[in-house]
Amino acid sequence: MNLQKQTTEVPVPQGTTETFDENARRALVDPQLRTALRKLTVTFGERRAQAIASVDDWEGLRERARAIKDETLAHLDKYLADFADKAERAGAQIHWADDGKDVCQLIIRLLQERNAKRVVKSKSMATEEIHLNAALEAAGITPVETDLGEWIIQLAHETPSHIVVPAIHKSKKQIADLFVEKLGIEPTDDVDRLTSAARRILRQRFAEADAGISGVNFGVAETGSILILENEGNIRLTTSLPKIHIALMGIEKVIPRFADLDVFLKLLPRSGTGQRLTAYQSIITGTKKNPGDEGPEEVHIILMDNGRSRMLAHPVTRQSLACIRCGACLNACPVYQQIGGHAYGSVYPGPIGAVITPQLIGIGKAAQLPYASSLCGACREVCPVKIDIPELLLHLRAQIAEGTPSTSAPMKRKVLESLAFRLYAFAWSRPVLYELGGRILRLCQGPMVRNGRIGKVGKIMSKLLPPLGAWTAWRDARPLAPRSFREMWRDRPVP
Amino acid sequence: MLARIREHLAASAPFDRVHHEASAKHEVGPSGQSIEHSNDISLIGLFCEALEAVNGKCTIVADEAEATLSLKQVIDLNKLNRIAVSESPVVDRLMRQIDAANAEVLSNVEPAVLFECDAGITSAQWAIAETGTLVLESKSERHRLVSLVPPVHIAILEAGRIRRTMAEVLEAVNQSGELSRTVTFITGPSRTSDIELTLAIGVHGPAKLHVIVIDDVKQTV
Repeated sequence: MNLQKQTTEVPVPQGTTETFDENARRALVDPQLRTALRKLTVTFGERRAQAIASVDDWEGLRERARAIKDETLAHLDKYLADFADKAERAGAQIHWADDGKDVCQLIIRLLQERNAKRVVKSKSMATEEIHLNAALEAAGITPVETDLGEWIIQLAHETPSHIVVPAIHKSKKQIADLFVEKLGIEPTDDVDRLTSAARRILRQRFAEADAGISGVNFGVAETGSILILENEGNIRLTTSLPKIHIALMGIEKVIPRFADLDVFLKLLPRSGTGQRLTAYQSIITGTKKNPGDEGPEEVHIILMDNGRSRMLAHPVTRQSLACIRCGACLNACPVYQQIGGHAYGSVYPGPIGAVITPQLIGIGKAAQLPYASSLCGACREVCPVKIDIPELLLHLRAQIAEGTPSTSAPMKRKVLESLAFRLYAFAWSRPVLYELGGRILRLCQGPMVRNGRIGKVGKIMSKLLPPLGAWTAWRDARPLAPRSFREMWRDRPVP
Repeated sequence: MLARIREHLAASAPFDRVHHEASAKHEVGPSGQSIEHSNDISLIGLFCEALEAVNGKCTIVADEAEATLSLKQVIDLNKLNRIAVSESPVVDRLMRQIDAANAEVLSNVEPAVLFECDAGITSAQWAIAETGTLVLESKSERHRLVSLVPPVHIAILEAGRIRRTMAEVLEAVNQSGELSRTVTFITGPSRTSDIELTLAIGVHGPAKLHVIVIDDVKQTV
């Protein structure tokens, strides 16, 4: 196997945030993807339901988690300073990074100064967010992903399609073919054999690694500890074996107290994979105490902003920073269920991706994503930290409609739209006009109703009034009932 | 960066006043206040049940003599020839009693040698009954690689160290600022569902986890 050679190939284009509509259409006609998504969302949905039933007061737990996050975010400066201070006292080295470019440069410098060429990586959405692998490869360092799913997509030159199970879009057959081609294993359709091939090859990488790069699930301000959850054991190997451990932590990952971990350890595995607890949690506080102890010589923790701090500037956007990256909203979302993760064109897919991507990369570059939702609220129902994602989606849509320089709609349309809604608000807030309006609409719809639907004629009508076309292009409008509720109420039989 | 954070938080203040959620009070009391400390013997049963539900094996023995027999059985049954041990006193006591004619027992093992070992034996400082979780602290023994690299992990657990909940154990490991540099929580063998959500055991860590619980609590009853 020659990873060096393979990774210089250009990744397969999977669409961008700006081509969401096309990406989604492509995904909808991919039968294998749809089978995989059905299996994922049904299985994870059922497992989650079982797992949360094992908690006495799930709602209370969610409330508490959100309160902890709100408290942290309201005083984020203080908790981050505390965290950094405690971690440094325990021997970790703290670095502050404003954006992804800073992080990449810093990591490259740390590795080059120590002549660390062989790098193992455990799964980290933050490193995906800043495209760390591409930056390292450009600097001549080839990082090896060691989470099985991440390794599969690294071999295939793809990007993750789910926060928790990154290779969920690939079938067993595709993975087997990939392993035969890239690793030269015997053809097999046995998952255990595929897994043990990965174990065998990745063990060599672990044994020879100079440095390990990981993410962070929670950083504890009280003790300066980081906690990382996993099932495979690759994170433990990544953070224990090499001489250098570099952990990338978004600034929103900090929580105040060590005891708060209990709340999040109850919520995250149950919401993510439907487990009561994942197989491993590692709590790492600084570096080793004595030279004879196990573990890396150096632990570096990078605190990354990359667009996060500006989300603090409004209570609606601030809640985006409460996210613990469990993926439950993806599994519950009727849009994600149909189109999968790649259609979003961003590292973070699904409902949470639709709200954090525009905020991270700029709303002008992802203006379609806040509309990739029916606002059904399933995401809000399952969110372990009670993020009101529909509220966030509407907040972002309002920004787009009001027009930032990059998204501004034509002035004429804006004026007309605003006028139409003012008229609508004026009429519909006055009972007499409301009733009159209803009567007129019922009269007008008469010739258009066919079999209880406003069908073809409606589509022609919508061409005359183009804004209505967006409404009726993909669905039949329901006609108004022959009699309104107010009329029925007035005429109700009096006992 | 902290200055920028303060600036953005200040910018949010006028919105916070009108926004219903942010008006909720931000002061949250410490977690884990409702911890009930229990020394219930049934915790052993609960622990083993939870561990076996996640593909771990659990043997309950009455004392160290029985633990030695049980350990020997596990070693013979799994044909373990090369065994790495941590410096835990209880592991040391048990291994002294075992006639290791067929097995090579190594302590203080270099990582490179660990990759060639058939099993690793450690103790555990705490356990969580509700989830079948072992909790290992680096200040008590060098557990990080012995419990991880070989394909079989055998852990010796004294029943008195079992607590019911995660909250109790978090409190115990952080007592009086004595937090270990590494605390590892282990719930069953290594697992993955990354290929078509099909469960595969033993992807990077041990494929087998065997816990021998010494029921020292019962002795005193």
